[in-house]
This record gives sequence, C-alpha cells and structure tokens, in this order.
Amino acid sequence: MNNLHPLGKLLTCVLYIFLVASIDKYDIIPLILMSVYLVFAFLIGELSLKEGLYRMRLILPLVLFVGIFNPFFDKDIVLYVGNIGISGGVMSMITLFIKGLYSVLSAYILIATTSIDDICYALRVVKVPKIIVIVIMLIYRYFDVMALEAHRIMTAYSLRAPSQKGIHYKAWGALVGQWLLRSMDRAEMVYESMLLRGFNGEFSFKKKALKLQDFIYPIAWACIFVIIKLRIIM
Amino acid sequence: MKTGIHGEILKIENLSFAYEKDEPVLQDINLHATDGESIGIIGANGIGKSTLMKLLVGLNTNYSGKLVVAGHEVTPKNLNHIREHVGYVFQDSDSQLFLSTVEDDIAFGPRNYGLSEEEVQKRVDDAISFLHIEHLRKKSTYKMSGGEKKLASIATILAMEPDIIIMDEPSIALDPRNRRNLINILNKIKSLKIITSHDLDFVMDTCERTILIDDGRIIADGATDVILKDEKLLTTHSLELPLSLSRM
Repeated sequence: MNNLHPLGKLLTCVLYIFLVASIDKYDIIPLILMSVYLVFAFLIGELSLKEGLYRMRLILPLVLFVGIFNPFFDKDIVLYVGNIGISGGVMSMITLFIKGLYSVLSAYILIATTSIDDICYALRVVKVPKIIVIVIMLIYRYFDVMALEAHRIMTAYSLRAPSQKGIHYKAWGALVGQWLLRSMDRAEMVYESMLLRGFNGEFSFKKKALKLQDFIYPIAWACIFVIIKLRIIM
Repeated sequence: MKTGIHGEILKIENLSFAYEKDEPVLQDINLHATDGESIGIIGANGIGKSTLMKLLVGLNTNYSGKLVVAGHEVTPKNLNHIREHVGYVFQDSDSQLFLSTVEDDIAFGPRNYGLSEEEVQKRVDDAISFLHIEHLRKKSTYKMSGGEKKLASIATILAMEPDIIIMDEPSIALDPRNRRNLINILNKIKSLKIITSHDLDFVMDTCERTILIDDGRIIADGATDVILKDEKLLTTHSLELPLSLSRM
C-alpha cells in the first residue's frame, strides 16, 4: 500500500470521508459496511489498530463527545432491538461517533502509508493552491520543531523539580515564553537551511509515474463506496 | 554546483559588520582563499566566527567592504547564484535536516535547482556512496544518532557539489570514532573547506591553513602547524594548545 501513488490514496480517503459523512444519521447498516475499507487498509497496510487509536488519542475524545447531547433532544423511537426501543437521539449519537471514528482512522491510514511530501505532491497534482500546500508543509516541519523544544524544556524542568507532578502554574508563563522564543530561533535556522539549499517559496516534488494499480485502487474503492452508500445490493 | 573557477574563489576585503550600530562584530577582515584549500577559523566564543560564515552565504548582507564568493559579490541580487556554489553545514544537524527521510533531504537542494530527476538521483547516490551511509538512505531524519545526523547533513551539501563548503563546529557532540570518520571524509573532499571550530585537534587534522580571530579582527593567518604550536599566541586570545601538542 505504501507503494501506491499518493494521488489515488488521497482521493480514496477524501471520497470515503465525504460519503461516510453523508450517510443518513439513522442509517447504521451502510455505515457498518463502510468499515470494509478500514479493515482492508489496516490489514494490507500492516497497520496496528492499537497504534492508530493511540496516535489519534487527542482527537478521539472530541469525536466521542460530539453527539453526546443528541439523546436529550431527539427522543422519538426509530428502531426496536427486541423489545428495547432506541431513540433517534441515541441512533444519531452512535452514527456520529462511528462517522467521526471512521474519518479519523481513514486519515490515519493515509498519513501512515504516505509521507507528508507525497501527500503535498498529490495536493499539487489536484491543483490545490501552492500557498496552501506550502503552509501545510511548513506547519508540519515547525510542529516537529516546537514539539522537540517543548520536550527539551519539560525534561530540563522535571530534572530539577523531581518531586513535582507536572509544571507548577507559576512557571508556566516563563516556560511558554522560552518555548516560543526557542522555537522561533530553531524555526529560523530550519528556514535558513532551506534557503541555503535553493528554496524559493515552492517545494520541488519528485514526480511519480502512475501505474495500472494506481488507477484500479481508487476506482475500485469508489465503486464499492457508492454501492454501499446507495444500498444497490441491499 | 561547480562554477569551474580555479584559483581564487573567495575574496574578502576590508569587511566590517555590526548587528547594532557602534557595536562591531567584525572589523576590517581581509582574506583570500583558493580552490581546494582547507581553512580552519578558530577563536574564543562570541568573537564573530559564525557571523563571518553567515556573511559568506548571504544570510546577512548589510556589511561594509567587499565580499566576493564564487565570482560574485554577496548582494541580495546574487544570493541564488552564491548559494548554488556554497554549502553550509550547520552546527546543529537537527536544523539542517527537515524532510522525512535522509534520501529526500539530500535530494532537496539539487531538486530546487531544477536538475532532472535522473541527475538528482545520481547526486543522491554519489553523496550516499561517498559517505558510506547506504544504510541511512530510507531512515527518518528524526531517528538517527548524532554522528549519523552529521553525516546526513554533509551529504545534503555534497549533493549540491559546491565549490565552497562551510562547516560550523562539525566535530561537536561526536564520539571519537565518528570524529575520526568525519576527519577522513573531510580530507577526501576536494572543494574549498572553511571550518570553524574550538576543537583545535580537529583543525590540526583537517586544515592546512588556520585563521585566528579575536575581537572581530583577524589576529593571525598562516600554516596550521605554525599557529597551533604558538602557545603564547593562543593563550593571549583565550585558546589553549591542542591536546595532542600539550601532551608532548
């Protein structure tokens, strides 16, 4: 899966998220069937679901809570499981959660099997404006720089305050200030390194040739998604 | 990229620079260097070594005097040309490497200069093979040791085939084996090398010419084995004899 053209993977991911999000809020069967893409990608891409969920741990709580109030507003029974009536609010809460989870996992599949450079290359192929692609790449670069600096500062702090849990609130201001200043210095050096190697405002991507499987992959998935979404065989 | 210039490739005349008015960092610097030379720039902390290196690649252009690199004066207009011919290896390799894999990072420079994909690939292969880092080709730049990062940083510069290679404290944070490896590699590179370092033994092993800077001025410029053996000169300017000589 890593060897597939990034354009096919990007288009498949975008189409998947779009179709999953557009499934009716009470229609849970096609939503369950849509999991076939995730199962396939995790198996073929040799990805770990546990690792995927761990990496998405900051986003998943938001996904979980996005529909949490629905049961209070929509109390009409829309489905019976045995004798138990399930309200529209509960159904929409569950479908919202599944939709969010699927979207997050499909994005994870894309980034786990495609480098940021390849994703940005695919974005340029589909004519996403240059400025947006550059901003995405620079955010990605500088995010690492900031994360590394935050880690260094926290390590230095914890080594000199071993009995404290976390960072004392009185030190927050100074540490955040230091963090930003150091990150800016590091970011400037990264930028200088780019300038010194000919960076002129546009990343030059390695062009990738399209093979037969690069066409088959997105087309096959598009057909499967549409069949499930439109319930053509159900 | 090679200019094809032989002979004098760097000319600095009466160069002065200040970050803030009335606080000069460099004063009246005069220096000429030719193709293939290996020059060590030594001096205590904060005397302007790194500033001088940054002026050479046009990271600061508001200097006074004359600064000609690879046949072109360092002015905002000429920066593209100059940077094509000068490779700068940062002290901190984490700032030098910013793409996902070593291979991508090495290809970044040649690709930006519009070389064909075949030529880019050849440059990457040559740089990797010269430094014997085939095992790092696909490795993430964040998951390497200090020595590996330093070699990868040098590869990113070698792939541009520069006429001048500038290295800021290259031996810092390297263990003895990586340090020895780096010395052997530098001695094989034929371009003009300018190396700033506090590691005087490293300068002794890699540079035939040494320039001592103090208080923003060139104090001495001559053969490495003459300057680095002059204990009085070194101690006067906050340096010490190289360890290899002080043991004798």
